[in-house]
Amino acid sequence: MFTILAEHGSALLSGLGYTLAASLMALLGSLVIGTAFALFEISHRKWLRIIGRIYVEVVRNIPLLVIALGFYVIVPRYVMPMDGFTAGTIGLTIYTSAFIAETVRAGIESVAVGQMEGARSVGLTYTQAMVQIIFPQAIKIVVPPLGNQFINLVKNSSVLAFVAGFDLMYEGKIVANATFSTFDTYLAVGLLYLVLTMPLSYLMRYLEKHWVSA
Amino acid sequence: MSMIEFHDVEKYYGKFHALKNINLTIDRGEVVTIIGPSGSGKSTLLRTINGLERITSGQLIVNDFDLADKNTDMNRIRKNVGMVFQHFNLYANKTVLDNITLGPTMVLKRPKAEVEDSARELLKMVGLEDQAAKYPSALSGGQKQRVAIARSLAMNPRAILFDEPTSALDPEMIGDVLDVMQTIAKQGMTMVVVTHEMGFARRVGDRIVFMADGQILEDESDVAGFFDHPKEPRAQEFISKILNH
Amino acid sequence: MAKRRLRPLLLLVAFLALALAGCGKSVADRDALAHAKATNKLVWGVKADTRLFGLMNIKTDQIEGFDIDMAKAITKQILGPKGKADLVQVTSDTRVPMLKGGNVDAVIATMTITPDRQKVLNFSQPYFNAGQALLVKKGSPIKSVKDLVKGTKVIGVQGSNSVDNVKKAAPQTQVLQLSDYAQAFTALKSGQGDALTTDNGILYGMSEQDHDYVVVGGTFTKEPYGIAMNKGQDNLTKAMNTAVDQLRANGTYAKLINKWFKGIPGFSLKEVE
Repeated sequence: MFTILAEHGSALLSGLGYTLAASLMALLGSLVIGTAFALFEISHRKWLRIIGRIYVEVVRNIPLLVIALGFYVIVPRYVMPMDGFTAGTIGLTIYTSAFIAETVRAGIESVAVGQMEGARSVGLTYTQAMVQIIFPQAIKIVVPPLGNQFINLVKNSSVLAFVAGFDLMYEGKIVANATFSTFDTYLAVGLLYLVLTMPLSYLMRYLEKHWVSA
Repeated sequence: MSMIEFHDVEKYYGKFHALKNINLTIDRGEVVTIIGPSGSGKSTLLRTINGLERITSGQLIVNDFDLADKNTDMNRIRKNVGMVFQHFNLYANKTVLDNITLGPTMVLKRPKAEVEDSARELLKMVGLEDQAAKYPSALSGGQKQRVAIARSLAMNPRAILFDEPTSALDPEMIGDVLDVMQTIAKQGMTMVVVTHEMGFARRVGDRIVFMADGQILEDESDVAGFFDHPKEPRAQEFISKILNH
Repeated sequence: MAKRRLRPLLLLVAFLALALAGCGKSVADRDALAHAKATNKLVWGVKADTRLFGLMNIKTDQIEGFDIDMAKAITKQILGPKGKADLVQVTSDTRVPMLKGGNVDAVIATMTITPDRQKVLNFSQPYFNAGQALLVKKGSPIKSVKDLVKGTKVIGVQGSNSVDNVKKAAPQTQVLQLSDYAQAFTALKSGQGDALTTDNGILYGMSEQDHDYVVVGGTFTKEPYGIAMNKGQDNLTKAMNTAVDQLRANGTYAKLINKWFKGIPGFSLKEVE
């Protein structure tokens, strides 16, 4: 394994960089999109609820690979050119956003109905009540499951390997094929994924301890 | 001068007829108690007054605004009509003081320092001046409800609606809450109180409304007379059950 | 505190490493020929995604192609008419690990004999002399490997040596590696690359399937396909070589080549034999 790291370290590190970049963009993107669709799902407007429901049900029930390949092979043919890294990152963002929408929706809904009524009864608008009362309580409920989603997201970013996205898994496959030492290579790849996921895992634990319980 | 007027109000939940032909006028400064068996529509009636429930048909005028009109801004109604809930509904993520100041600062845009001063005054009035920095989870039920009343008063409302304010409290806590409510009533606040506390209704109420099956069966200004000689058979049955308990 | 928390993790990693180092020896190292004779069965790793060589026929649920027919014919030569050829699907990714792990006795899967591979595997004599070429959309400005200049993208398949070859022949081009030929061809059709490179035999299969895509520029490498076996399986290797010789001599080989490749433009038996 150490020879792999010594001889092909730069390829794997470049892959790690792409994986990190894709993960960060997908994390932010999926959080924004997921929260938006969570709000759709709990909206008073029926058509928004329907849109939210359809989005979540369709996206989360399609394999990530299919979504990523869709952006890689279908979008370039009919819409606009898109390279593997972009297609994979967009696919990852959309796929994860469906799960985040469900997590955020469940978090918001687990805040008692009375909290919203209490806020509305002094004249706060829906948005003010959400921002002041509901979100702060929902976030504490949502942080632990969200942490799981984010760790899954980093690991799921390996989908980029299938659309030539130059990520860690892509480079790992190339190194494994070039050296024939499949096990050692993937052990190194696994350790490099840990470099990304362990800090994330500890950060989430820290947040849970010092913030959620406050 | 009337504060709240119901004219031929109907309310349906799907096929369920929750409020039937409600006609009721409540004047400014009046304290009206609403009693009746559970499921009679008391809470629904109360919740229509600040728009937490929409009426299906009829006319409902609160503080000169027509609530049946789609263009009426509900937040303007709620600014002027406070509500105290059975389960308090204090904001779990805010301190007692912030629970009280949130409305005046965000909705009335009053300066924070001034709002905090009056919030402390209100806390003193409800006997909780030393609890300002605590979170609601650290308070007893009776304390929570007194904070909820202070929160409502902080908006300087024209009227306050009470939805079974003592039903979720341990018996020894009820007295403190009723005392606060009585103090407010004496200051001339318009109050609509859905309650099972017959003693409060008799002592403090200017008027009593008896509801059953979504209808107002009795509306009586002679509160003592109502308790001694209810006219409606349903009311007689209800009173005797409560008093013999 | 942190140390104590890490300890179970280290133990787990150590355990996994030991477990993986411990297995995989015995099966792969036994004499494959003797074992095949004892069980009257040869286990072949074949591809199921490669037109003309090894492709799953969705209707019959059977893998069909030149490699498949060769595997069956060779099995009969070695084990006799009753010998059974077991077919196991492999990909460019998995064919080496599966050989090393003893999951298959031999791999006949459009696999080019290269010095690098010969370090870790045994190969039979070549049974098909392929060469690497380019597949492009009809009318593409790319006519040969020389046109793969800076700014162009060429699509290859992970784990195949064609990627290294094209990097040598056209160092300025960017190589995108996809996981199998179907995906690579789809990516080409989606415009993800300007050309697709691999062995001509495979490219002809794609061209036959979609006439909008053509093979251009002839071959720029020599890619003799061989049957791969695990390093040290010399008895089986000898038996394979003998079997291939016999098939060439008795006309079976020519018959199979004609069955699969006759009529494809630009294809000659002489070139591949």
